[in-house]
Amino acid sequence: MERNPSAFLKEEYDELVKNNFDWKLRILETGSSPHSVVDGKEVIMLCSNNYLNLSNHTRIIKESMDAAKKFGAGSGSVRAIAGTMKLHMEVEKRLAKFKGTESSLIYQTGFAANSGLIPQLAGKGDIIISDELNHGSIIDGVRLTKADRAVYKHCDVGELEKVLKDADKKYKRILVITDGVFSMDGDISPMDKIVDVAVEYGAMTYVDDAHGEGVIGPDGRGIGAHFGIEGKIDVEMGTFSKAYGVVGGLVAGSQDLVNFALNKSRTWLLSGSHPPAVAGAQLAAIDVLETEPEHVKNLWDNTKYFKKELKNMGFDTGHSETPITPVIVGESSKAKELSNGLYNEGVFALPIVFPMVAKDKARIRTMMNAGLTKEDLNFALEKFEKLGKSLKII
Amino acid sequence: MVSKVGFVVNPIAGMGGKVGLKGTDGVVKKALKLGAKPIAPEKAEETIKEFLSRCTTKDKIQWFTCAGEMGGNELTNAGIKEINILYNASDKATSFQDTKNSCKQFLKQNVDLILFCGGDGTARDIFSVVSNKIPLLGIPSGVKMHSGVFGITTSATAKMLHEFVNQTLTIGDAEIMDLDEDRYRNGEWNIQLFGIAKGIVEPTYVQVGKTSYESISDNDIKDELTEHIVDEMEAHDDFLFLFGSGGTIDYIANKIGIKNTLLGVDAVYKNQLIGTDLNEEGLLSLLNKYSKAKVILSPIGAQGFILGRGNLQLSPRVIKKIGLDNIVVVSAPSKLISTPVLRVDTGDKILDHQFMEKEFMMVVIGYRMSRVVKLQTNNF
Repeated sequence: MERNPSAFLKEEYDELVKNNFDWKLRILETGSSPHSVVDGKEVIMLCSNNYLNLSNHTRIIKESMDAAKKFGAGSGSVRAIAGTMKLHMEVEKRLAKFKGTESSLIYQTGFAANSGLIPQLAGKGDIIISDELNHGSIIDGVRLTKADRAVYKHCDVGELEKVLKDADKKYKRILVITDGVFSMDGDISPMDKIVDVAVEYGAMTYVDDAHGEGVIGPDGRGIGAHFGIEGKIDVEMGTFSKAYGVVGGLVAGSQDLVNFALNKSRTWLLSGSHPPAVAGAQLAAIDVLETEPEHVKNLWDNTKYFKKELKNMGFDTGHSETPITPVIVGESSKAKELSNGLYNEGVFALPIVFPMVAKDKARIRTMMNAGLTKEDLNFALEKFEKLGKSLKII
Repeated sequence: MVSKVGFVVNPIAGMGGKVGLKGTDGVVKKALKLGAKPIAPEKAEETIKEFLSRCTTKDKIQWFTCAGEMGGNELTNAGIKEINILYNASDKATSFQDTKNSCKQFLKQNVDLILFCGGDGTARDIFSVVSNKIPLLGIPSGVKMHSGVFGITTSATAKMLHEFVNQTLTIGDAEIMDLDEDRYRNGEWNIQLFGIAKGIVEPTYVQVGKTSYESISDNDIKDELTEHIVDEMEAHDDFLFLFGSGGTIDYIANKIGIKNTLLGVDAVYKNQLIGTDLNEEGLLSLLNKYSKAKVILSPIGAQGFILGRGNLQLSPRVIKKIGLDNIVVVSAPSKLISTPVLRVDTGDKILDHQFMEKEFMMVVIGYRMSRVVKLQTNNF
């Protein structure tokens, strides 16, 4: 058959462009900082996940460099063969201690953790029960299994219990998966209640705490510590790529979990391990969280101030309980206009529109940063107020 | 792109309601005598006005309608200047025949959508002419609105119309149902499924990138549901499978290679069709022969009925024999957005109570994918 084997590349890309669905990459000319230069313009950064500004922390940078100098630029292998360094083991030991779990395992990324581990936890004859708003990496992990799947209404433990009740009779293993902090609304899953109901029905619990790690719980120890249920969630998955300011995924739980995960996760087994510079930075980030509580405190002080002022101006900030504060404006076009206006005024915050969120709930999603000063926040707030009024949002 | 919208108002729709006539079919004079006033023209006008308030200069619509109260007046009153009048009713007292005649004109004009104002009776009249060739959208104004083509309110209808014109809504199945009014006035409750029209529905979205989504077609979803049912039939190869009525079930059956009855209940055993369009008696005799059975249902009509509307042959005796745990409900996820509750009205208090105790059902929304949906047994 005569065919152009790669014609679809251009056709599909053109279609994305036509529908305005293509990614237009924004280029940072500085590091990811509270004040960044994006596409040549200095802006207050309100859309990075670098919540604690640790990517710019002097000690973390130094220890990263020291590790590179001492152990080299790369690790030379996958973890399972010859790529496990003493440094990797040290990070895992310290992380488990920090999170109050028996053990932990570092993955190359958070996505690698979800897509590598979830398919191993359930198979044919099992069921995975998910919150309807779970992150795409969980969805992909679930897609790789042969297990049945059920979804429950967002954060609705009553509905989850109904699914568990139904599943109890039919399946061997039951796995309940939820995000810890939901990245669109900034709300927190009721993990204590989820664990209670899961225990009652003999179900395993798995939380993706990517946006909670380093942010919620005492000293940013994550969702287990936030609810005082350390060690009770079967799998606490998280990331070093957001508040920790580095890169990498993590899983914390029992030694049995770690033994199982490292022997069975294909993503872990088949990807090169983190370079020493990454592992050194991870270790230093844990150290900073343990010894410098001011970063988490600043993040929350900033968050509370910013939310309060936005509300006082008359903005709808939804039900967020975390440093992710949505500014809900209604129609998608309005959210895009507001985002463009903010950028022109020196504030970088991206719009989130339908179908990511409901049609009448398009929004600007802001993510707070511990490194922003009161002056920075007032600058951003002033721009929100000015544009909110001119666009008739407030 | 210019959208061609056919617009027809049944000016007498809904008149029977306020005077307790449970419908206006064939009893207009009686309704008028009892003091009933027309309500449809006002509702139609309201909807058009709200629709226009949502439009921008980008939205281009070509209106086709009938003279006078059957559409022309309402469009003019709402402020639309360019109107194509395709039909003029000869008598001032319009009838179902006028609705049908106007639809014949809409077919000729090849309109993209028929927007109508009326109730189940009007939907039936329109469906009898256009079948599933043109999608329908109903402004709710009748006494009975069991069909799946109506917006919930005039305002919701205006919004749907605007989204259809903007191509953010898509075309899907919608059941045309009606109560037999003569039998109802004599105390008999008999809602029949008349056919599967095209309605406008919310598409189902899947996430493809971090913030980008693709809508997937109704048929892709139905293909997934088919795969699920195939697995189910393989896993229970000693079960009799009963295929209920409606577009979704019909699609699944056809994909499997079974010549199914769109509006009836069929029986399949070991992939062979062994009973077609079965009545209660036929179903019971098969259930006596095959001790294990499952029935596949999909919510019918706007109100999400799985039992008691349009499938009365699945009587309490039949359902008891099959067992509540052997009911498999399938639905496109987008349909569940507009039908957040499943309803059951078997006519048997004890059985209804058993459903009520269940509180919810797991509804299959994709291949090996289900979600919990609340169950209600209250009557309408």
